[in-house]
Amino acid sequence: MFEIMNALVLDNVSKSFGELRAVDSLSVQVPTASVYGFLGPNGAGKTTTLRMIISIIKPDSGGISIFGNGSIEQVRARIGYMPEERGLYRKMTARKILAYFGAIKGLTVDQIAQQVPKWLDRVELGDWADKKVEELSRGMHQKLQFAVTVINEPELLILDEPFSGLDPLNQELLKSIIDRMRDEGKTVIFSTHVMHEAEKLCDSILLINKGKVILDGELNRIRSQQSSDVVSVELEGDTTFIETLPMVTKVQLHGSRLEINLSRDSESQQLLKALVDRVRVRAFEIKVPSLHEIFVNLVGASNVEDS
Amino acid sequence: MSKILKIAQREYVETVKTKTFLIGLLLAPAITVGIIFFAHLVSRSEGGPRPPVKVAVTDLSTELSGQIERGFEKHNDSHPNRQILFQALEDSQNQAAVQERGKAGVRSGKIDAYVVIDKDILDGPGKVYFYTHKPKPANLDAFWTLERIINGLVVDQRCRLKNLSPELLAEIRSVPIERVEIGSGKDEQRLQSQTERMTGMMVPFFFMFLIYMGIMGIGQQMLSSVIEEKNSRIIEMLLSAVTPFQLMAGKILGLAGIGLTVVSLWAVTAYGAALWQGLGIEITGGLLFYFLLYYVLGFLLFSSILAGVGSVCNTLKESQNLMMPIVLVFVVPLISWYQLVQSPNGLFARVLSFIPPVTPLVMILRISAGSGVWGLEILASIVLLLAALLVTMWLAARIFRTGILMYGKRPSIREIFRWLRQS
Repeated sequence: MFEIMNALVLDNVSKSFGELRAVDSLSVQVPTASVYGFLGPNGAGKTTTLRMIISIIKPDSGGISIFGNGSIEQVRARIGYMPEERGLYRKMTARKILAYFGAIKGLTVDQIAQQVPKWLDRVELGDWADKKVEELSRGMHQKLQFAVTVINEPELLILDEPFSGLDPLNQELLKSIIDRMRDEGKTVIFSTHVMHEAEKLCDSILLINKGKVILDGELNRIRSQQSSDVVSVELEGDTTFIETLPMVTKVQLHGSRLEINLSRDSESQQLLKALVDRVRVRAFEIKVPSLHEIFVNLVGASNVEDS
Repeated sequence: MSKILKIAQREYVETVKTKTFLIGLLLAPAITVGIIFFAHLVSRSEGGPRPPVKVAVTDLSTELSGQIERGFEKHNDSHPNRQILFQALEDSQNQAAVQERGKAGVRSGKIDAYVVIDKDILDGPGKVYFYTHKPKPANLDAFWTLERIINGLVVDQRCRLKNLSPELLAEIRSVPIERVEIGSGKDEQRLQSQTERMTGMMVPFFFMFLIYMGIMGIGQQMLSSVIEEKNSRIIEMLLSAVTPFQLMAGKILGLAGIGLTVVSLWAVTAYGAALWQGLGIEITGGLLFYFLLYYVLGFLLFSSILAGVGSVCNTLKESQNLMMPIVLVFVVPLISWYQLVQSPNGLFARVLSFIPPVTPLVMILRISAGSGVWGLEILASIVLLLAALLVTMWLAARIFRTGILMYGKRPSIREIFRWLRQS
């Protein structure tokens, strides 16, 4: 009965640049109040997809709806977008830039008066409010860019490679902004090719390569689906019998541990049972592949298929 | 619409604050005032003494010789700074040899001019020959004076031969002319000097030049503004909040505001300067209306072109190369303004009026030249400008939309055409 409202729906979206098919029949549903990672190698079509969402470029075919709305103009004020290529007017002060972006994002004068100091404070630029952008450090530019992006308290935040070029402090600051937004029930979509960032932040991911979806869904489910066939164990006793077990396809020694590959249809619990009967088990871990491994596996595989 | 206004407002405020704007704003009136002041100084002073012009004369009629020397002396008495010196040539029975010596003197630079007067100059078809060799431009005025002196002497001598008194002739020839400009009121009238006549001629040019400066000068601002946003990667931040069209329209509008501010200031300064110099310039409300109308239309048209051009370029230099052909079109009415003022309803003026980027320049020139341009023609030119403006904005918006996101290599013309075809 209660269907989760999707913040964003892409339906069969395609975009070509000349011969290059940048985005190929992409469909995705981003649920409200989730943090969704668009992952993929450079040139996968992430930026093109985000630009189509924000309507900077138009898709050749397919439909995009934001908050159930087919036209972005209706919902622009509810969106915050931080592009990969980002800059600010060098001759304007931090305060004026925030006020200007607030104004063109549709805030009223009262809202601007309230939002600008609030965000200057949150990104720790309060003391620099009346300095010109050209007088600020690179790190401060980045902070100001975050503030510009969220000055309108967007319900949907879209970030293109937000972590690239950030120093560790600003990475933490941005993460805290994303966390806060998630806590407030807002939706965050960001693209990255740095997998451990996505791993720490995302609820769901969309993995694309060469404009096509390779993997899509909740991160936990993806991991569990990808995980069940490698087990890492630490044992005491004679372990040579393991290779002869029917469910085992491969055994490798990694230091004091054994890494055991299981056949697809077998259960790790069966292996544990078999081990407990014969040897002393000191550690038994079902290996959860890192997103990085999944990424390398799948993207590597799809590249091989294509060539 | 409110977003467009906010973009326009920022564009206006931030442009006004730049140093280049301030310099540009002040420089033009400063130069104008400077030129007027300088011209005033020059026309008052006689100028310092200039080197004398050396002239030899061979009078074959033999009746003028003495008078020529006296004529030169009379001139030298009244013009001590610009003397004409009479150089005697070595006399000889052989006239051909004398003349050869005269010409050789001119060639070698010993004398500046050599005059030979035919034998039957007084009562036949004889001529006066002025020989010069690579004359210096600085001496042209003296040669002109020389011709006038000799002309006067010949006429005087002819009078004597025919028993006419030269004084009588002068009396006959003297027709005093008084140039009077009458005003609109019944008893309003005042004398008009030659300068004022000239100023009257210059007013149309001034109006055209004002439009030209306004369009070109402020148009450059559009290029640098677009390229700044592109280079510093502000564009995409903006495009999350506004559409490319809103951005472009806002910019054009903001700079149109700048343009109006600048041109009004310039016009007021120029009008003030003219009054200060005692030049009466009559500007009707109708002319001002057309001026503003054509200026705004021309500005919008030109800055749309520049928005499109700026969006595909990465540096100002690159954009200026692209601008060259358009700038050259603007030069046509500038160099042919005199001809256009002389025949404001001629074919040339009419054709030029309907080439959209220069329409405002030519039309304001024709209208301010004050010789009844057809109302229908004005209407047609405005309709044409509007149509050109809409088409240009439509094209520019399409180029702008794609161009502002292209970093690096400038797209080829063929690529740009492909953008235009894309919906």
